[in-house]
Amino acid sequence: MADEVRDDLKYTKEHEWIKIKGDIAVVGITDHAQAELTDIVFVELPEAGKEVKKGEELCVVESVKSVSEIYAPLSGKIVKVNSKLDDSPEIINESPYDDGWLVELEIKDKSEVDSLIDAETYKKTIE
Amino acid sequence: MVKRSPLYDIQKKLGAKFTEFAGFEMPIQYSSIKEEHMAVRRNVGLFDVSHMSNLWITGSDTEKLVSLTTVEDASRIPDGKSQYTAILRDDGTVIDDIIFMHLGDKFMMIPNAGMDETVTKWLKDKAKENNFDVDVENVSSGFVILAIQGPKSRDTLQKLTDTDLNEVKFFGCRDIDIAGVNCIISHTGYTGELGFELQISPVGDAKDVFLKILEAGEEFNIKPVGLGARDTLRLEKGFILAGNEFEGGRTPLEAVMSWVIHWDHDFIGKDALLKQKEKGGYERLTSFECVEKGIPRHGCDVQVDGKKVGTITSGTMSPCLNTGIAMGYVHPDYREKDSIVEIVVRGKLVKAKVLRPPIVPKDWVRNH
Repeated sequence: MADEVRDDLKYTKEHEWIKIKGDIAVVGITDHAQAELTDIVFVELPEAGKEVKKGEELCVVESVKSVSEIYAPLSGKIVKVNSKLDDSPEIINESPYDDGWLVELEIKDKSEVDSLIDAETYKKTIE
Repeated sequence: MVKRSPLYDIQKKLGAKFTEFAGFEMPIQYSSIKEEHMAVRRNVGLFDVSHMSNLWITGSDTEKLVSLTTVEDASRIPDGKSQYTAILRDDGTVIDDIIFMHLGDKFMMIPNAGMDETVTKWLKDKAKENNFDVDVENVSSGFVILAIQGPKSRDTLQKLTDTDLNEVKFFGCRDIDIAGVNCIISHTGYTGELGFELQISPVGDAKDVFLKILEAGEEFNIKPVGLGARDTLRLEKGFILAGNEFEGGRTPLEAVMSWVIHWDHDFIGKDALLKQKEKGGYERLTSFECVEKGIPRHGCDVQVDGKKVGTITSGTMSPCLNTGIAMGYVHPDYREKDSIVEIVVRGKLVKAKVLRPPIVPKDWVRNH
């Protein structure tokens, strides 16, 4: 089963997806990442309102066996977190691109968006 | 060089993801750790544990050597029985925990993965020092080891043999034909469920046995199971994983294995254990269930009132309980049953309750 990569999203080589909606960036982990992790059992989310710099730890996703840090793909203020994941972290496995989003960031520096990769480039990194 | 099980190719075809463990590339999971875990708790699962070691011990002084080098009095273990025990250094710390099987005039010992050379050398040296008439042969690469575990394990295997498996009692061991292949069977396991382990030699015969067991178990929804679920299954029962719980040198008293120590015979490490017992005050392996969200992992500190009282050696999310569970070494004053400690997970304090193992009781499945 091929991992789904959506054309309308931006990506990082660290298997995050980013959906740009004006000044807001929605961040999640890719279908490939959730399939590699399998059985996500715990998500440690940041507090809304927190400022993060690109490359800083954004949240932690744990599977049964492993602990994975997710790093901020862009600098900005966290305006929303997906608190449904507190009780149902498995949503990330079931719906990585929709219900399983992690946080929404208010983008601080638009030029950082250029550092993200497109769907075609991301596909090549997971081939 | 990383070793592979002779079953690697079939496992790859079955969709296994692999991990390196103690020098072996073994399946960590096939479908999902949770699914494989629950298959073993509710039905039956098949594990390849060929990374474990196999030694033959033969000669007229076999019993004497095993008694001297383990905390077990081997003369107590009759032909056709196996025993869980530990091999100690002179200072009482554990070199390895093992199972040995008494099979006629010889013993088979099963040290942990990657421990074959260390244990073989240790036993040979002790045999030589004591002029024992005994030979120790490392035959690890000559055996495939399969574990069939779960409430339907007996029904699955029974379809492949004429021997009545009810006659293989708990910790019993014997020769048997499974799917037309001669193996050594023991009624043992590492999951806390009904289960059996098969030692198969030559290894070329094992592929057929592996596939026939999967076929026989189909009606019970058997699953091949990787090391991921093997770890969660053992941790829910409070079973020790040598690489984690003996790391840095721990005695069987610290590991709360007193129940396997036979004090009525002389063994290497006994004096050190007696001294430790008399002195007291040593840390003891303790089980925990988190009462707050969070998953303790190897190396986390255990605190009470902001003071460090212990260290976690193993931790995971329990697939049965859906909470974080763990074990670790704790100061004897802070391990009273049902008391609350705090485990430091990435700088955050997660409250956890002290339990006595098993963390998940035997009747859990029946009640859920």
